[in-house]
Amino acid sequence: MSQWSERGVFAAGQWLGGLAGRAAVWERSGAAGMWRALSAGCRLLWPFSAAAGDALWSRLLPPGASRGGCVAARGAAGGGAGALGAVAERRRAADTVLPKFNIDLVVALLRQENAKDICVIQLPPEMRYCNYFIVVSGSSTRHLHAMAHYMLKMYKHHKEESDPHTQIEGKETDDWLCIDFGGIVMHFMLPETRETYELEKLWTLGSYDDQLAQITPQSLPEDFIFGLSPNSSDHLETT
Amino acid sequence: SITGACQAIQKLTRVRVVDNSALGNTPYHRPPKCIHVYNKTGVGKVGDKILLAIKGEKKKALIVGHKMPGPTMTPRFDSNNVVLIENNGNPIGTRIKTPIPYILREKGEFSKVLAIARNFV
Repeated sequence: MSQWSERGVFAAGQWLGGLAGRAAVWERSGAAGMWRALSAGCRLLWPFSAAAGDALWSRLLPPGASRGGCVAARGAAGGGAGALGAVAERRRAADTVLPKFNIDLVVALLRQENAKDICVIQLPPEMRYCNYFIVVSGSSTRHLHAMAHYMLKMYKHHKEESDPHTQIEGKETDDWLCIDFGGIVMHFMLPETRETYELEKLWTLGSYDDQLAQITPQSLPEDFIFGLSPNSSDHLETT
Repeated sequence: SITGACQAIQKLTRVRVVDNSALGNTPYHRPPKCIHVYNKTGVGKVGDKILLAIKGEKKKALIVGHKMPGPTMTPRFDSNNVVLIENNGNPIGTRIKTPIPYILREKGEFSKVLAIARNFV
């Protein structure tokens, strides 16, 4: 018991320290008192649900440390021993209360992150790429990185065991980041990059996109014969 | 005796740039050639990054199709297709007209190239 609570405290300290910018949200949820409880080293309540809304937060608070501790144990302890078996069952019961990671949750989180110009395009199943294609603008490089990492954190928290892991692509760029969640694909771009690529136009207009039309169509030369390259000998190559 | 042609993309293969970047589409007296494959083996398959020599400059590129038959139920193309990429992974062109294989989605880190593609195979 004590081992995972200590590790949880350390991990939570890193998590809280890294997101000092979100202090405003946490004060509303009364996180200040919780932070004092953390430093005291006792059973901790992980403030993941601060994003999901204060309703969820209040639901987590009264049952006390057990449910919150379970959420922390998932990240901190990792791997169930016999003592954690019963904890795991209570954790699964708690997970059914958490919302699924679907498009509504994603858009709500983006609005909370002050993302500009959220554009959600629902693709038809014939495209066979994803269900929803989201393009989001940010105010600066740091804003994009913060949004992307926050979305990944939320996904890891809300996903089922069978959902695949995802990674953030474009971490070394400064204007375009991208996450592929399987059914949802999200692109975080700066406004200038968004103007250059115009992804919304491509995915809504399809073949009628103007940039596609401007690509000069390549035509075959008049003396082209299929299977005969200009430098080969006089017989056709047979593979 | 001579070794047979390797047919996937390796050093000094001439490639075809399929996006609408200016660098790939302006005519030049020499075709773009691969000068290095970022791979343990020197042979590039779909999803590998290579170094191209285009118009006298070096540019990184991503292989999106080659003439060599790959694993079963993967598409084989009639030309060695390549998409120009910058060092940080951003594509230089803004649209890709030729079909792109779905394998790129599982290979990882190529969602940007898939986002500017028009049709998939």
